[in-house]
Amino acid sequence: MSSNSGCVRVYADYDRDFSEDVDVVVVGSGPAGAVTAKELTDAGLRVALIEEGPPFTPPDFEIDGAISMARTMREGGLRMTRGTVMPTMQGIALGGGSLVNSAICNKAPDFVLDDWCAKFGLEHTTLADLDPHYDAVGEFLGIAPTPESVQGRRNLLFKQGCDALGFSSEPVSRNVKGCRGSGECFTGCRTRAKQSMDVSYVPAAIRRGALVLTSARVESVLNDGSKATGVAGRVVAPFTGKASHSFRVNARAVVLAAGCMATPVLLEKSGKLANRSAQVGENLQFHPGVAIMGVFPEDVHPAFGATQGYQSKQFLRDGYKLETLWAPPSVLAVRLPGSGMAFKNRLADFARSAIWDAIATCNRSLGRVRTRSGSMNPSLLWRLHPEDVGILTKALWTLSEIFFAAGAKSVVSGVNGMPDEFFSLDEARMLTERPLRDRDLVIGGNHAFCTTRMHGDPARGVVDEYGRCHDIRNLYIVDTGIFPQCPSVNPMWTAMALAHRSAEHLCAEL
Amino acid sequence: MLPWLIVLALAVWLAIRIGVGYPPLTHGYRVLRRNEVALLASVSEAMFPPGGHIPSSGLDAKLPDYIDRWMSLSSKQTRVLMHLLYFLIEHATVIFPAPGRAGRRRFSALDFDQRVAALQGWGESGLYLRRLVFVSLRSILTMGYFAHPPVLRQLGVAPFAIESPICEADLLYPRIGARSADIAYTTDDLTTAREASPLLPGSPLHPDFAEEQS
Repeated sequence: MSSNSGCVRVYADYDRDFSEDVDVVVVGSGPAGAVTAKELTDAGLRVALIEEGPPFTPPDFEIDGAISMARTMREGGLRMTRGTVMPTMQGIALGGGSLVNSAICNKAPDFVLDDWCAKFGLEHTTLADLDPHYDAVGEFLGIAPTPESVQGRRNLLFKQGCDALGFSSEPVSRNVKGCRGSGECFTGCRTRAKQSMDVSYVPAAIRRGALVLTSARVESVLNDGSKATGVAGRVVAPFTGKASHSFRVNARAVVLAAGCMATPVLLEKSGKLANRSAQVGENLQFHPGVAIMGVFPEDVHPAFGATQGYQSKQFLRDGYKLETLWAPPSVLAVRLPGSGMAFKNRLADFARSAIWDAIATCNRSLGRVRTRSGSMNPSLLWRLHPEDVGILTKALWTLSEIFFAAGAKSVVSGVNGMPDEFFSLDEARMLTERPLRDRDLVIGGNHAFCTTRMHGDPARGVVDEYGRCHDIRNLYIVDTGIFPQCPSVNPMWTAMALAHRSAEHLCAEL
Repeated sequence: MLPWLIVLALAVWLAIRIGVGYPPLTHGYRVLRRNEVALLASVSEAMFPPGGHIPSSGLDAKLPDYIDRWMSLSSKQTRVLMHLLYFLIEHATVIFPAPGRAGRRRFSALDFDQRVAALQGWGESGLYLRRLVFVSLRSILTMGYFAHPPVLRQLGVAPFAIESPICEADLLYPRIGARSADIAYTTDDLTTAREASPLLPGSPLHPDFAEEQS
């Protein structure tokens, strides 16, 4: 076992071109990459973990939502799909999206994993197979249900509404230790309670000897035609992305955890690598989300409380999951209707408002990732299937039911062609009665999947169920691109569990 | 000869419409141009007019200054798209005139009521792309409006004062822009884990958002 402590290099540390030799190079420090790096170093392997973004410390966090997004998200947080126009985000920071997500940890439901096994030729990916890996990750990160002391009224009203209607609900389990309910997950946790990868798995990997290269953009996977031999790229300045020194990391194995929207681009730019199946970049899926605001007669104090503290899985089999939501008000206000004085006065309702959202299982809504000339950013095409519009509309109706059951005096749906505000459940029934199109809804592209999907048949998938590429030896993919379908719940814990398993498998192979 | 005269007349009209008559800048901007500052000020006044339930107006919030800072952090491609968006809003009155007299003037030259009506026209248009343009513009302005501390205080959603503990990660990473050798913390600085006390409504606000003391 290695006992040498590793180190981190940041942008200002680079003063020349360089190369490194390691056993395994991991590309991407988000949840899957960080878990992989830590597990491999624990096994005594020399590991380099490469991240394009910089590490953020609390003084680097910007509380303002838009400025924060411009600094922590790729393309300044303005990435959009074509087809159905929908914003979607990907983090660019040490820790990846875990730096700015709500720390929600859900296991994939057993019926989803059974479906994956049945449809995609997988033999060892049931909940029972993954449970030991879920548990290992859960124990390390301290994943636990959100305590009532930091729920805040915004979250507890959701529970109250669900209880009144007889819907099941539960506190969200999160990778958090000592949350104070600041509601600032989205802009970086100033309380350091969130166990994002940069404060959990990455330091653990460094303790065991990992070399962490930040502000380093991998631009190609090196290979000799049959096996991966390393990666090459350029040092890039934080925020501007201006490239400077070149680097190369030679390795016995390469693990790609660059994210579902970036890994296909990297493979394509590496000479259409690992794509005999023609599935690289295909099958793009999201959990499209809709949100609705409920206005209560008295103050809700929405700024206080866990960012997303409560959820309901009552309707998972119907295709949607319900959850509470908080984000910087500027981000939330995008969904509100109107302009001028009416819009301004609606913003004034914020203190008496709660915002809840639904994420939908949209396996029929497919898209693809393509490369852009002269850029490592992806071009995304995706269309929301008409039947999935129905799921999202139904979810809006259910959220309206919960709001009115919790005592809201009105709800603001933000749906085009509908009244700005519904003052009763009867009025809100219009949501279910009028046919809607994708462009009538304000939707957000939460989570992204399937662009390098796992499949037991090499002709129909890019990797096997251990993340090992079918086409090329010593190349693994562990990000959410390997999911064969969207998992119906927030994917972080599942991505980490699968990465934990892949790391075990890779150790055995090396 | 006549076609050339028409082309010339059009070119002169276009040059005047695009470049003439904007007020001088009161201070330097990193990204925004003089005509864009005028447009954004006029849109912000119409989008967040004085009065109503929130005392601060869009002009109080100095939205062009905020947008200039935000755009300076954005990619070149994003900045190009933003410049195009502003140009479109400013000059689309040629195609979608504001109601009332001289409704085809550029947006920033319209009367207040005409600007309000023009924005409403974008937001409630039957054309999806027109609505999309409106939502994009409103989102940018709203981001700036919510960055104005008095607005957040008035809405009761200003961020709390939080003293960040020193954890292991702070011994590993310097602030962005600094070198690893500049990390000032040692293991002696690590903050002892303490019982987390929830931040309750009424807890002290972040210094940047707290009311200024006279």
